[in-house]
Amino acid sequence: MSIVDLFRKKAVAWLGKHSLVSHLRLACWVALVGLAVMAASIIDPAPLTVIFAMSVGQVIGIAAFLGFLVSILMDVVRGSDHPPDAPGPAQRFRESDTKADVTSST
Amino acid sequence: MPHAGPWLGYVALASAAIAAIILLHFLLRRPPLDLRTKLMLLLGLGVFPTITAATSTVAGMEATTHREFCGSCHTMDDHFENATNPDAQSLAARHTRNPFFGEESCYVCHADYGMFGYALTKMGGMKHVYYYYLGGYRGMSKEESRRDVHIAKPYDNKNCRQCHTTTAHVWRSIPDHQAMAAQLESNRVSCASPGCHGFAHPFSKGPDGLGAMPSASGHPAAEPPR
Repeated sequence: MSIVDLFRKKAVAWLGKHSLVSHLRLACWVALVGLAVMAASIIDPAPLTVIFAMSVGQVIGIAAFLGFLVSILMDVVRGSDHPPDAPGPAQRFRESDTKADVTSST
Repeated sequence: MPHAGPWLGYVALASAAIAAIILLHFLLRRPPLDLRTKLMLLLGLGVFPTITAATSTVAGMEATTHREFCGSCHTMDDHFENATNPDAQSLAARHTRNPFFGEESCYVCHADYGMFGYALTKMGGMKHVYYYYLGGYRGMSKEESRRDVHIAKPYDNKNCRQCHTTTAHVWRSIPDHQAMAAQLESNRVSCASPGCHGFAHPFSKGPDGLGAMPSASGHPAAEPPR
């Protein structure tokens, strides 16, 4: 199994276990950390805080926004019949899993 | 070089505050995840943090051009104090008193110029941060730093010529300038050398301000600028 396949499998498993809302909440906490780091560089423009804000702070912010984009993707894939605060696999993943199970059993 | 002013910092703080309010509202009040909430989250996670990142980056880059920023490491205390001393007569002090250099006198003289000068200067500045925090400079006493910390490469006369163009009549009428025009052009002779205009930071060049201080081993710590 390649690293990409392993990563994809782990990501799908993680997304299946967590609800859309918990995913968004995590993205919000991460974004708050990034915002705090960036704000600190304005309040105290010392060498380390400025460099930290322009590197780590922005990476944290991008990670939070990517988390939000993944949440949007989850929301779209799951469909309207799946409550956002309910954990479990997305609708399309379930359908594909079911088809795969049916194919393997036959 | 950006001259955005302090308002950019205020914009960064304001957008960070608005984003934080939106995010905390979502985290603490737990509203239903309807279209309105999703749009608010787009603002709180996407739009306002992007504004904060962009403005804080520009404000941060501008902060790195200020003299207080350069003087915030203790190894630069002497340079900072000398440059800001109203009675000092060193090149650095006299240039710092010039309103054109203002609060950015270190940057104006030490920045690389040209198309990529700003980026190259900032990359060079990263080396200074590395040396300070990971290269042992942080643990140096002032005496050690005065003795062992030197400019990374010989000072380029081009930086002087950003203002002193060397084409004005007054400059060309000085015999020494005429005689050494080729050496000055090729950086074989520095404008800021003893016998010419003197070192910019003479206190770092030994007790007499004229040459390199011996290191702990008794040898000159670094080759003095030419």
